[in-house]
Amino acid sequence: MSLNKEKTCFILEGWSYIQKGITKLIKIIEGEPEPPFEVTHYMKLYTTIYSMCIQSTDDDYSQQLYDKFRQVIEDYTIYQVLPSLREKHDEYMLEELVTRWNKHNVFVRWLARFFNYIDRDFVCRRGGAILTLREVGLTCFHDLVYRELHSTAKEAVLTLIHKEREGEDIDRELVKSLVDVYVKNGMGTLETYEEDFEIFLLQDTASYYSSKASKWIEDDFCPDYMLKVEEYLTRERERVTHYLHSTTEPKIVEKVQNELLVVVAKQLLENEHSGCRALLRDYKMDDLSRMYRLYHPIPQGLEPIAYLFKQHIIEEGTSLVKKNRRVNELQDKYMVYVIKCFQNHTLFHKASKEAFETLRREGGIEKLE
Amino acid sequence: MRETVKLISMEGFEFVIDREAAMVSHTIRSMLTSPGGFSESKDGVVTFPDISTPILEKICQYFYWSLQYSRGKETEFYIEPELTLELMMAANYLHT
Repeated sequence: MSLNKEKTCFILEGWSYIQKGITKLIKIIEGEPEPPFEVTHYMKLYTTIYSMCIQSTDDDYSQQLYDKFRQVIEDYTIYQVLPSLREKHDEYMLEELVTRWNKHNVFVRWLARFFNYIDRDFVCRRGGAILTLREVGLTCFHDLVYRELHSTAKEAVLTLIHKEREGEDIDRELVKSLVDVYVKNGMGTLETYEEDFEIFLLQDTASYYSSKASKWIEDDFCPDYMLKVEEYLTRERERVTHYLHSTTEPKIVEKVQNELLVVVAKQLLENEHSGCRALLRDYKMDDLSRMYRLYHPIPQGLEPIAYLFKQHIIEEGTSLVKKNRRVNELQDKYMVYVIKCFQNHTLFHKASKEAFETLRREGGIEKLE
Repeated sequence: MRETVKLISMEGFEFVIDREAAMVSHTIRSMLTSPGGFSESKDGVVTFPDISTPILEKICQYFYWSLQYSRGKETEFYIEPELTLELMMAANYLHT
């Protein structure tokens, strides 16, 4: 029985030594004055854990150490990380969250190095049935910190994005780091990012641009409105590259386009004074090109414009015929529009063709050469 | 970044080898590449109180053999039978 006692002593001593090492590590992470780890110390910690693992014939010690690993991280998180997060709010809470996330990762990385033998031996032999040490670390953060704070954090981030949309400068690096927290806590998938953050961002985006659209459509002429749309779309795209996940881009663009272009299409395009027909009448090539550019990516976005184009040709042609003038030049004139503004798109070729067929039929005029 | 590292056996023998060779051991590699941590990673000295001199010597030979093998020089690495067990354990310990 003395052998057992020896073993137990060894285990207790070993664990006490490891515990001291962990305390030192935590002090360093928390920024307290503490000399950095010496190579010898690191080797001793690694060796202690290694020795404890190979002592047991069953996996008893390895299991205990594995459980202790998790417990150490949980205790650190519950007693030191969470309290410091709970006492902060808004942007300060966000900063603290990012800081804590980074510290957590450093902590887990170091701890996993000390416990490395467990990863290689005990975890490996379980063949994927249990989590690796790094995964354990990530899970602790996710379950204890992320779960509690992700909703509050999301609100704070959306507030910042709203501020930026209104023209204020915000800390873009901070938002970028936070988005990364959402992505990383998805543990390999983008679901967490999408469900806990992106979906709310998209909702916010839609309502923001919906109210902008209502205001602008009242105040602005079509050309100015379109300029604004172009500008804001560029800004949103730029926003994505700076701090959102790249997969968000098409989704955000779709929302903006929907609110600013689709919902108000009729009002915008058919505006008597500045809409599509007016632009055609006044030879506004740039504005028409812009219109094409903006509506081209939208499914069925060009159809209404092509229709108005056709109607316009028919009207002009008909009035010319009434004045007994030939309509040949009309075809060339409108071909210019099709090529220069509408990028040779088949829809517009078709619209032009149909318009002239109608004129020929109904106008009763001589064949056009 | 030093070019060489020093490995010390339990009897106090010092083996000075190339950094690149030492990094064949994952354990040594993670120690030497830890950012912002080890005060001695600049000096590159590691003591192995549990590894005897002949074993450590064999391990250093193995490091060099491993580098050569990965560069295409496919020779055999001979292990004296009486060293095998200790060598395996040391390899396990050093993650080599």
